[in-house]
Amino acid sequence: MSETPPPDQPDGDAPGTTRRRALMLGAVGASAIVSIRPALAQTQASVVNCEIPVPDAGRAGSYIAADGSVVPAGTPGAFPPASLPFKGQDVKTALSGGQLPGTTYEQNQAYVKYIRRLQSGTSGFTCFASLQMPRG
Amino acid sequence: MGLTGSAMGKAMVMQAMIFRAEPAESLRIQALDDFTLIFHRRSGLTHLVTAPAPEILAILQEAPLNRDELLARLGERYDLEDASPAALDARLAELIAVGLVEVQ
Amino acid sequence: MRIGPVGFRVGSDWRAPIAELERLYADYPVPEGGIPDFNVRLFAARPWRRLLRPAVVLGGDFVLPEAAPLPLAQGLLAAEMAMNLQMALGQRRYLLLHASAVERDGRALLMTGLSGAGKSTLAALLAARGWRLMGDEFALVDPASGLIHAFPRLVSLKNEAIEVVRAAVPGGRFGPLIAGTPKGDIRHLVPQTQSIARMAEPAQPALILFPRFGFEPAQRALRASEVFVRLTQASTNYVALGERGFEAMVRLVREVPARAIDYPNADAALAQVEALWGES
Repeated sequence: MSETPPPDQPDGDAPGTTRRRALMLGAVGASAIVSIRPALAQTQASVVNCEIPVPDAGRAGSYIAADGSVVPAGTPGAFPPASLPFKGQDVKTALSGGQLPGTTYEQNQAYVKYIRRLQSGTSGFTCFASLQMPRG
Repeated sequence: MGLTGSAMGKAMVMQAMIFRAEPAESLRIQALDDFTLIFHRRSGLTHLVTAPAPEILAILQEAPLNRDELLARLGERYDLEDASPAALDARLAELIAVGLVEVQ
Repeated sequence: MRIGPVGFRVGSDWRAPIAELERLYADYPVPEGGIPDFNVRLFAARPWRRLLRPAVVLGGDFVLPEAAPLPLAQGLLAAEMAMNLQMALGQRRYLLLHASAVERDGRALLMTGLSGAGKSTLAALLAARGWRLMGDEFALVDPASGLIHAFPRLVSLKNEAIEVVRAAVPGGRFGPLIAGTPKGDIRHLVPQTQSIARMAEPAQPALILFPRFGFEPAQRALRASEVFVRLTQASTNYVALGERGFEAMVRLVREVPARAIDYPNADAALAQVEALWGES
């Protein structure tokens, strides 16, 4: 299968007739998708033993707003930084609906949003990326 | 009809659900031999997919549809050899599981 | 020291591993501008473990806290593993393939597969036959150009391969025999002078091989999709590189032919390799 081809191939001989490409939906038990699994076999331990500081080291001391953005320290309504980086395992749990250790409900919401917005290059991103293992 | 209450209920729910695909700008699609590779920008994940997944995604990207509408649309555009709602449900479930389709 | 485009600084609680590294990496340049990309530390888990049954814990910019310490006698191995770990976990500029790479005429041969498949051994043997060793553990793919960049560390040889390579490379400089590791006996081979001198020269990937040791000679062509899945399995930083990694990998599998080869011994393998290279 290539990129989605044009659905109708007009038949040259008979204007108005279209020849459609054959397509199979496949068996109920079969699979049409394989997600690429990161090859972290030899670094499997690092998946749950890496750490994510909130916020990153480059912006240590800044606060986290309720929407996860990084704001100046003392901004009203924002939360102070986490005193210690969070362990990968704890972040993984929080991403599935649990709560980061030592946080209130709102603080947890803000921190999790911050983590979800991590970009490549920010400390903690590698850890965050490695937590997103495909299912299955 | 022989369907239990819950099975009937489940069938009705599946029929009512509307499915929406990740928009085209979120996906980087590359074809290789028999397979299609999809890089999903939002999740950073890479998926290797075969027919009918790319075809389903393309149709749902045009507009969200429920399962019966999707099956009909597929039948219009392709020569469907095994037009089974159960099979389509299975394909949709897979796409939902990897985050390429969501229930609206 | 600098290995290919990557600079390392290695610190240690013990002198011995550092002395060994200095001896074996004597011909390598220092990091560019004196600034390392990665720091590696070999340290004692507890202060008294420096002296009493000394055990080396691997430290550095990236760590595996659960990794078991190694005995000091395997300190060189520890340093090599620690450098590998920094690359595996921290490399972002290049897409890393867990493959050996050798170069001839500006074109690179990549060999990848499970541990024990022979990628390091075959690379060492090809280097003895005039190929330039680019690396035995990691091949670096530049996402922008698609070229392979060299990372010629000490070649890690295990068990039977040690004698095979010693016989084939009579003038070779080898590290100490490190016995009793989880993978058996290990010895390191220092890459030849030209390999070190030319380590900044990239090469165009021309052939990807998936060798398998211990079978009657056989080969088959691999489709791009299969190569894609296998190579991503063999990349420690594919996911971290995101879309850049995706594009780089797609380009590689589209443009470079791939073969799986089975071989019963080194001579058979080398014959197959040379034949396939001639066709590529």
